[in-house]
Amino acid sequence: MSTAMNFGSKSFQPRPPDKGSFPLDHFGECRSFKEKFMKCLRDNKFENALCRKESKAYLECRMERQLMAQEPLEKLGFGDLIDGKPEAKTNS
Amino acid sequence: TTGLGGSAVAGHASDQIENMVPVKDRIIKVTFNADVHASLQWNFRQQTEIYVVPGETALAFYKAKNPTDKPVVGISTYNVVPFEAGQYFNKIQCFCFEEQRLNPQEEVDMPVFFYIDPEFAEDPRV
Repeated sequence: MSTAMNFGSKSFQPRPPDKGSFPLDHFGECRSFKEKFMKCLRDNKFENALCRKESKAYLECRMERQLMAQEPLEKLGFGDLIDGKPEAKTNS
Repeated sequence: TTGLGGSAVAGHASDQIENMVPVKDRIIKVTFNADVHASLQWNFRQQTEIYVVPGETALAFYKAKNPTDKPVVGISTYNVVPFEAGQYFNKIQCFCFEEQRLNPQEEVDMPVFFYIDPEFAEDPRV
């Protein structure tokens, strides 16, 4: 954590997360999904774009085990990874 | 969209996420820091750095362990630097802001699910 000396009126205001707090995965029910995701990152120079399937799988694991509120995958930014949907266009 | 003062308009967050388009040519390296107050007996560390682009949701992990023989309750807050980037950093869900209790010797993964607002790519200051 960095401490900043702010002499002006602006200062960082922490905001609560949009969907609240994750309950702790006390029993490690989704640990294997986390490990797959971390391995993917290590194998892909930590590029998130190449590991989105793994991160989606981790969050789906949580949702299936009441470790996360159920959300449609589109609302979590995985709309392009749902079967049958076209790939999202990019901004240029 | 961001409202006045740079604060996110929470009610529209899900809609924004669903419709936002990744800015694929603007790669951002996000590194994570972990600090623990001296009075909190947790071991707490980040597990990764990650390269993301604005408009793309991303997952990162911290790991926390209670090395004592008693339950320990902790609470997290966060900071984002540089300041100009912080207002574009949106946490969808994380472990922060609520008390979390670790049982003796317990070790847990603590996820952060976030995205950087696509408007980041249009701000000349960052």
